Amino acid sequence: MTGHQLDGTTLRQRTAAAVADERLRANVARAVDRFAGHRLTGLAELDHEPAVPGEPGGADGLRRAARAAKLQVLADLPDLLERFADRVLARGGHVCWAPTAADARRYIVEVVEAAGATRVAKSKSMATEEIDLNPALEAAGKEVVETDLGEWIVQLAGETPSHIIAPALHRDRHQIRDLFVDRAAASPGLGTDPAELVRFARGRLREVFLGAEVGITGANIAVAETGSIVLVTNEGNGRLVTALPRVHVAVLGMERLAADWAQADLLLALLARSATGQRLSSYTSIVTGARATGEADGPDELHVVILDNGRSDLLAGEHHEMLGCIRCGACLNVCPVYRQTGGHAYGWVYPGPMGAVLTPLLAGDEHPEAAEVAGASTLCGACMDACPVQIPLQDLLLSLRRAKAADAGRAERAAWRAWSAAWSDGRRYAATTRAATWGRWAASLTGHLPVGRGWARGRTMPRPAAERFRDRWRAGS
Amino acid sequence: MTGLETGDRQGFLAPARRRLAGGIATNPVHPPPPAPAPGAPAPLPGYRNLDPDDLVATFAASLAEVDGTCHVVDAGPDGALPGELVDRIVGELGDRSAVVSGEPAARAVGRGLAARGVTVHDATVAHAAAAGLGITGAVAAIAATGSIVLDSRVAGGRSASLLPDAHLCVVSVNSLRATPADVLRGLGSEPDALPPSLVLVTGPSRTGDIEQLLTLGAHGPTALRVVLVTGGP
Repeated sequence: MTGHQLDGTTLRQRTAAAVADERLRANVARAVDRFAGHRLTGLAELDHEPAVPGEPGGADGLRRAARAAKLQVLADLPDLLERFADRVLARGGHVCWAPTAADARRYIVEVVEAAGATRVAKSKSMATEEIDLNPALEAAGKEVVETDLGEWIVQLAGETPSHIIAPALHRDRHQIRDLFVDRAAASPGLGTDPAELVRFARGRLREVFLGAEVGITGANIAVAETGSIVLVTNEGNGRLVTALPRVHVAVLGMERLAADWAQADLLLALLARSATGQRLSSYTSIVTGARATGEADGPDELHVVILDNGRSDLLAGEHHEMLGCIRCGACLNVCPVYRQTGGHAYGWVYPGPMGAVLTPLLAGDEHPEAAEVAGASTLCGACMDACPVQIPLQDLLLSLRRAKAADAGRAERAAWRAWSAAWSDGRRYAATTRAATWGRWAASLTGHLPVGRGWARGRTMPRPAAERFRDRWRAGS
Repeated sequence: MTGLETGDRQGFLAPARRRLAGGIATNPVHPPPPAPAPGAPAPLPGYRNLDPDDLVATFAASLAEVDGTCHVVDAGPDGALPGELVDRIVGELGDRSAVVSGEPAARAVGRGLAARGVTVHDATVAHAAAAGLGITGAVAAIAATGSIVLDSRVAGGRSASLLPDAHLCVVSVNSLRATPADVLRGLGSEPDALPPSLVLVTGPSRTGDIEQLLTLGAHGPTALRVVLVTGGP
């Protein structure tokens, strides 16, 4: 894996590349339309009687309750983390507190070394993408294999996931077949039928599951009252990674807690439906401690790495609610920007509206250019409408844009002030709309003046009418 | 045995405590709902597909929607399945072996298959990986979602339901619950009673990672057959 793309390219360059790729856009549009349709069907089946008449019922009432529950968790987060950690320890699990990505990487590499492992099997985990774990393990001489099919496909391609729950949705069956032949030593006779491709991957990855000494997962939910980790997968990769290797390492973003099983039940009712429309994913695994006496399989060691990596900076502030995200991908599937670009244009680990908020906040320290990713939205609000925990994503995006505007250069701010002053006054407005003035104005925006050159690029200047409306009005025509 | 703690717990938590102590900003444009009353559990999700008077029918319909197969049978006093069902299972298995997990109900079915000439092993990883069928029990089944609930401590492991190409689960109809809440919300009362692995299995293994086209049997079983047993030993 080559690491992520916040590599000096601009949002504009990445977007232009994505939009120019017709195949990518067709693949992305097909996928998000399916997901978004299934979500509506899945949610329509949920029922909820509001406690107070007039409050929303049904799925919207449950989403509202889920928002309240996540806010409650965040308000109690330090105490809940302690309760969770104490329960993990009591059940024989090990706990690592990792304030930074580097702390998490260091601990995990040590665990893998101590296990004498040469091969690591991973179940899909956005948190491990975020901390660039794979390159660190590879640098330590370990073979790292992603076992979620989509994640394996992007790993073979040397890419990063383009969707948080369907990492390879930007590729079609022909591209995947070619990849298996070129990079995974599949026979050139391999066809493009999805069932045949899946069968090939199953065989190849089964060897990995059986041979890996360490399994690494993320955590969809961590339940404080029992010290349990909930892993949700459809393929069964989450189960295999936590059943066969001798050591299981789970990387947990510190905000992914539920206080108790009532909250976890509510979140699980919404999670799979919001992601794929399923009532539950095929496998909802609840992991509580290492293997028990008398069990024929299961890990001897369980390590839970609790990751901050910038999250506590968001707590209590303007972007507090972003920490309620349960990573279902619903906001990606309804976003008009994501639909056109797919995930790679966002430049980092998290795409779509949730990524446009998280990227500046979590990657902004290391990559100041991440701030512009908040601009990858239309502020239409479809994201909040789709979010199972009702995160006000468009408000958070707007606030990030405000922060970026406040950092803008003095010349740019002066230009906007001048424009605002001119168009707030009838006579001055009239002056600027005279054709000759209009032409100069347009020229200044399209690059003859340094001010606004960046803003103007990619925007089309409207052509002035041959005759102004106010002139026609005056002439009575 | 208690696990080991690495890193500075209080140092890790200090920034979060500091920030929360200053009060939490609330979104002015879309203000959050009022906080739930202290101690009030999160509301119960209702399931419109659930017929509370016929959990068996709801379970069978839910399971069929996720590509599983449900049988409702009256097991004999020795826990054996009806001959017709055994015929079908043996026919599908061909000359491949089966593995069986630790629950008495699963072992009774295993004995029935062995009597028909099927090679039946205990579910070690090696045997399960080679088997065409894994036979397990379940500690519960959930009508609204068509799920079965597998407990690694009761089953003696995880492999029988995971590695073979097909999974056959035998569960008493008395273990059928209405919704996930009926299983999940009780887990907190006895944290030490939780097994290392408790899995809600909802249909066979699936993937949509290639063009979002549903393909069964990604990593786990390609087929899931659940036998709801009335009567039995």
